[in-house]
Amino acid sequence: MALPLHERAVDGQSPALVRLTENGLVFDRVAVKTSLIPHRELAEGEQYRFHFDMTKCIGCRSCEVACNEQNGNPADILWRRIGELEGGSYPETQRHYLSMGCNHCLDADCLRGCPVDAYTKDPLTGIVVHSADACIGCSYCVWNCPYSVPQFNAERGVVGKCDMCKGRLEDGLEPACVNACPESAIEIEIVNMAEWRQNFAAADSPGLPSANQTISTTRITLPERTGAELERVDAGQIQPEHAHLPLVYMTSLMQGVSGALWVLLSWHGLDAVRLAILLGITSAALTLSTLHLGRPAYAWRALKMWRRSWLSREVLLFTLFAGALASATLVTAAVELNRAVPSGLVKSLDWSAAVLGLAGTLASAAIYLVRARPAWNTVHTPIDFVLTAALLGSLLAVLLEEGSRLLPVPSAFRIAPDAFYRPSYGAWLVAIATAAWLVNQGVRALRLKDSGVVESRATFSLLAGQSFRPHLIGAIALALVSVLCAAAGHASFAMACGFASVLLARYLFFVSVVPLNMALTFVRNRPQGVHA
Amino acid sequence: MSLISKIKRAAGIDTAREKYAYGKDARFGKVAASRVADQWVKTTCGYCSVGCGMLIGVKDGKAVAARGNPEHPVNLGKLCPKGLSEHHILASPERATQPMLRKNGELVPVSWDEALDTMVERIGAIQAKYGFPSLGVVGTGQLLTEEYYTLGKLVQLGFRTPNNDGNTTLCMASAVSGYKLSFGSDGPPGSYEDLALADVVLLVGSNIADNHPILCHRLERGPERTLIVVDPRVTKTAMMADIHLAIKPRGDIALLNGIAYILIRDGLIDREYIARHTSGFEEFSRFVAEFTPERVAQVTGLRIDRIEQVAQLYGRAKAGFIGWTMGVNHSTQGAVTVAAINNLALITGNIGRLGAAPFSLTGQCNAMGTRESGFTSALPGYRKYENAQHREELAAIWNVDVNTIPTERGMAYPDIIEGAVAGKIKALWFVATNPVVSFPNYALLEQALKSVEFMVVQDGFHPTPTSDFADLVLPAAMWGEKEGTYTNSERRISKVNRIVAPPGEARPDFDIFLNIAERLGVREMLYPGWTTTHDAYKEWQRVSAGRMCDYSPYTWEQIEAAGGIQWGGDRLYADGIYPTEDGRAILHCVPCDPFVEQPNHEYNFILNTGRTVEHWHTRTKTARVEMLNGMVPNAWLEMNPVDAERLKLRSHDHVTVISRRGKVADLELRITSIVAPGQVFMPFHFAETNSNRVTLGAFDPISREPNFKQCAVKVQKTVAH
Repeated sequence: MALPLHERAVDGQSPALVRLTENGLVFDRVAVKTSLIPHRELAEGEQYRFHFDMTKCIGCRSCEVACNEQNGNPADILWRRIGELEGGSYPETQRHYLSMGCNHCLDADCLRGCPVDAYTKDPLTGIVVHSADACIGCSYCVWNCPYSVPQFNAERGVVGKCDMCKGRLEDGLEPACVNACPESAIEIEIVNMAEWRQNFAAADSPGLPSANQTISTTRITLPERTGAELERVDAGQIQPEHAHLPLVYMTSLMQGVSGALWVLLSWHGLDAVRLAILLGITSAALTLSTLHLGRPAYAWRALKMWRRSWLSREVLLFTLFAGALASATLVTAAVELNRAVPSGLVKSLDWSAAVLGLAGTLASAAIYLVRARPAWNTVHTPIDFVLTAALLGSLLAVLLEEGSRLLPVPSAFRIAPDAFYRPSYGAWLVAIATAAWLVNQGVRALRLKDSGVVESRATFSLLAGQSFRPHLIGAIALALVSVLCAAAGHASFAMACGFASVLLARYLFFVSVVPLNMALTFVRNRPQGVHA
Repeated sequence: MSLISKIKRAAGIDTAREKYAYGKDARFGKVAASRVADQWVKTTCGYCSVGCGMLIGVKDGKAVAARGNPEHPVNLGKLCPKGLSEHHILASPERATQPMLRKNGELVPVSWDEALDTMVERIGAIQAKYGFPSLGVVGTGQLLTEEYYTLGKLVQLGFRTPNNDGNTTLCMASAVSGYKLSFGSDGPPGSYEDLALADVVLLVGSNIADNHPILCHRLERGPERTLIVVDPRVTKTAMMADIHLAIKPRGDIALLNGIAYILIRDGLIDREYIARHTSGFEEFSRFVAEFTPERVAQVTGLRIDRIEQVAQLYGRAKAGFIGWTMGVNHSTQGAVTVAAINNLALITGNIGRLGAAPFSLTGQCNAMGTRESGFTSALPGYRKYENAQHREELAAIWNVDVNTIPTERGMAYPDIIEGAVAGKIKALWFVATNPVVSFPNYALLEQALKSVEFMVVQDGFHPTPTSDFADLVLPAAMWGEKEGTYTNSERRISKVNRIVAPPGEARPDFDIFLNIAERLGVREMLYPGWTTTHDAYKEWQRVSAGRMCDYSPYTWEQIEAAGGIQWGGDRLYADGIYPTEDGRAILHCVPCDPFVEQPNHEYNFILNTGRTVEHWHTRTKTARVEMLNGMVPNAWLEMNPVDAERLKLRSHDHVTVISRRGKVADLELRITSIVAPGQVFMPFHFAETNSNRVTLGAFDPISREPNFKQCAVKVQKTVAH
C-alpha cells in the first residue's frame, strides 16, 4: 500500500523521521499509526467511518482533486468538499477547514427517501452505497441529505456520491482522499454502531448541521483552542436552488384537478366531458412530471418503495387517481349513453378519485417535509398544497361549469345537472380560497423571517431580495386580479391569472429553499448539478 | 451524437456508464477507468520549487493521471491539488500550436522558418541600428536547467546583449543577493529534512500551507517542535504555528535585529562560531544595541514579552531553522532582510548542521537551476562577471574569446522594462513568462511593451495577456513534453521527462534556441554537435565542475534513480568555511526603514498581495484545469470587519482598489479577520483583476526585486457598468 511515510517510520532508516532529543541527535522512532485504514476485519455491529482531524488539515484541497480524479467526475461535482471556518478577531483569528465526503450515517435520510431503493447501507461495511443503475435521477436524496452530499450528474441523469472508495478498501487500499492528504488528516476507522448511537457528539462540528438528524458516523477532531466561535464563511452568499419546472407544473396541475373534482362533485357537476378534461390534464401533468427525472424511461420504478418513501406513495396515489378518474369517465359516459351500469358505481368511482386525489396531494406535500430543507419542512407546505387545490380547483370548476357547454361534443354527454351551481357560488369560493391561500403564504413568510433556523431566514431574505421581488409581487397581484375576474364572471381570465399566480408562487417555493449543507469556501464553488 | 443516442440519453436509458466506469490500475488499484494507465512515467512537478516527484500515467499517448511518486524523498507520494491535476494542462485546447506573426496588425499563422527568419532578421536590424544591448531578454524559472543554460549562451554570446534576465527576479532575487551578501555565494544551505529536524522553526513571510503545501508534513505538530510564523496576515500557515507574530508590514528587519540584540544581551550566541567563522561581529553587536525590545515592539506592533519569548526560543534551540519566502523577498529591502536572517543563523551557529539553516523557499520549479546555470545576474556556475579568472575559465570551456564575456551584469528585468520606456531597449523577447500579469505597475509595463519595435513571446499557451502585445509568438513545448532537469529549493537536481509529444507544431524551447543559433551562424561555436538537452547537460556538468553547485558527479540516470540528488550534499557550510575572500561569513548591519509608499489620509490602506493554493502564478496553466479554476474562479479582496463597517461595505460586494498608479475593479469583498485593520489583501493570479495595475514600481537596489507586498491604496464600491 502506498504509505511511504509510515513504512519509512516503521522500517526505521528514514532520516525524515529523526527527532532531536535531550541527548542530542538520536534516531528516535516516532510513534505513528501504521496505517490510515483499519487492518482487522469488522466485527458484528461495527462499520467503517471517516475520521477527520481538523487540527491537521491545512486546507490544501488535495483531497477534493484526488476524489474527482478517482471517480472521473466533472469539475462541478465534488464528492468531497472543503469548507472554511473562521472565528475571533485579528490577530487572534482562528481559521480552520472541514473536509467532508459522505458521512455514511446510521440513519441515512438519502436511503430512507429513495423511491427506487438505489441506496443500501452495506451490511458488511456500513458504507452507504448508491447504485447508478437503479437510480432514476429523481434527486429526492439530494433534498433529504442534511449535508448536501448526493449530487445530480446531468450528463448521466443519475445522482452520485462518495462510497468511501469501497472497492479500494476491499482491496486493502486507502480511499483516494485518505491517500492524497499530505497531512494524514483523513483516515478510516472502525466504529461500533450501537455505542456510536449512544454518543455521537464527536460527529458535530462548527460548519456542519447537527449530527443527530441522521447520526453521521464521521468523527471529527476539533482544535483545542476554542476561544472564539468558529463560523462558516460562505453564509453571505445564498444561491437560489434549482426551479424544477416540471414539478412546478405537475404539482400545480394535479392540485388543480383534485380540487376541481371535489368542487364539481359537491355541485353535482360531473359529466363525462368534464371528467375527460380533468383526465386529460392529469395525464399531461403526470407525463410532464417524468421530465423532472434524469431517467424518464424508468419512471415506473418510482412505485417500488411505497412502503417507505413518500415519493413512491405520491406516484402510487396519483397513478391510482388517474385510474379512478379514467374509470369514472368511462362509466359516466356509459351511463350517459344509457348503458346498463351497476347502481352506485359512478358515485363510488367519483368519490374514489376524489379521495385518491386528496391523498395524492397530501403525499405530495409530505415529500417536501424534509428536515434538510427547513423552509419546506413546515405545516404551511401541506396547507399550501391543499389551499392550492381549493383555489385552482374552484377556478377550474367554474371554468368547466361556464365553458364546457360550449365544447363541440355530442349532446348526450352534456346531461350534467347543475342544480347546485350558481355563478355567485363559484366567485365566492374563488375569493375565499384565494384569501386563505394568500394568508397561508403570508404567515409562512413571516414565520420564516423570525425563524431560529439560519436556512429559513435565508429563504426569507431570498424571497424579499431583489431577484425574486418581481415574482412575489406578480404572484400576489395575479391572485387578486383572478378574484376580480371571477367576480366579474370572466372564468377563463380568472383561471389564467390564478394559474399564473400559483405557478409563480410554486416557482418561488422551489428556488427560495435554502438546504442544510456543510460549510463551503468563501468563493463558493458550489457544485451545480443541472437538473430538469 | 446520433439522434438515437440523444434520445437514449434524454430518456435515461444511457447513463454514460462506460465513461464513468471503474477499472483497476496495475500500480494504483481501483480507479476511474479513464485514469487507468498503460505506463507510468517518472518526472518532477512543473509548478513550484518544492520539487515533488511524480508519476504520470500515460495511455494511448495521452497523459491520463498524475500521482505522487511514493519513493521520492521530497514528497513521499503526496501532491498538492495543482500537481494532482497537472496532466490536464497538456491537452488544453488553449495551447499555442503554431508560430504567429503580426502582419498588418493581426497575428497570423506562419511557418517556423518564416517565424525564426523574421525574428533573427528583425532583431538583427534593430541591433545593427541601436547596438547589441538594444535587445532585452527575459527568461524564466519554468525552463529546464539545460535550456536556460543554452539560452544564456545564445543571448550573451550569440545575440551579444548583456540585457538578459529571468522572471526569477520577480521572485527570489533577494534571496540570491542576501546569500551573496552574507556568505559570498548563492546557495540555500539547508535541506527540507531540517524542517523536520529543527526544534525551533521560524518562518518569516512564508505561507507554505498555500504555497508549498507539500512541505507542511515535515512540520508535524507536537511538543518536540515550536513553529513560529511571522506574517502580518493570519495565513493558513499562521494557523499551523505555535506562535504567530502578527507583525506590522515590513517590521521584519526590526524584529530580526531585535532578536539579535536579545541573543547578544543574554549570551545566547555561539561565541566560538562567531570568532572562527564570521567577520563584523563587533560592529554588528554595536549596531543592534539600538534595537531594544521596547523599540522593536513599537516598530513591529508586537508585545515585548512575545519578542523576548521568540528570541529565547531561537537562542536556546538545539537546532534553529529560519525559512522565508516572498514576504521577505518582495521588497525594496529584500536582500538586506535576508542578510538580517543570515545574521541570526551565524551568531547562533545555526547553519551547516542538522536542522539548522537560514533557508530560502523558492518559487518556481526551476528557479534554482536557472540561477545556477543562468547567464543573467551571474555567470554560469555561480561565477562573477567582475572576476577575470571566472571569465577565463568559461572562455576556456566554451572555446571563445574571453573578451566576448561581459565584465559586468547587464540590465536586470525591471531595468530592461524601464530601458524599453527610455528607448534603450528596442526589442524584447519573453520566454515562458507573462509580465502583463506578473510585473508590477502595469501602466509602465504597457508603455514599455508598446515602445519596442519588435517583441517576441515564446510560450506554451496562446493567447496570453502578454502574447496579445507580441509581434511574434513562438509556440513552445512545456512541462511533460521535454527532457532535462529541474533543481528545487533544497538544491535537489531532479529529472524531468517527456511524457507526451508537444501539440501541433510546438517545439521544445531548446530546439527553438538551437534553430535561432543556427540562423545567427553561432550554432557550431556555441553548441558544437549538440542535438538534445543531454548535450547541454554534459557541458553544464563541465561548467559547474568544481564550483559550489557542482553537477559533474551526477548523470541523468543517477539523478533519476535516486529520486533527485542534492548538489553540495545535505547541507552547505558544514565546515564553516564560506566562499568569501577570507572564508568567513559576513555579519551585516541592516538598517530598518519604513516601506516606500506609506498610507496617508487618501490612500489609507496597505495592500498586501499573495497566492492561493489552487492557482499557479498568472493562471496560464491552472485556469485551464477546470477543477482548480472552479474552486477559485475569481479574485477577492480581504478586509478587516472594522474597516468594512467604516466603509459600509458588505461581504461579496464588488469593490475597486485604487492606487496612485491605477485601479482594479470588481473584486469580491471578503470581510475577514485574517487581515489587520488598515490592511487589505488580494491574490495576484488573475489577469482580469490584475493586482499589478495598482502595485508599486519600486525595486530593491541590490537584487532589483519589486516591492509587490506593500503599497498604499483606497477601496471603493465598484460602480456598476
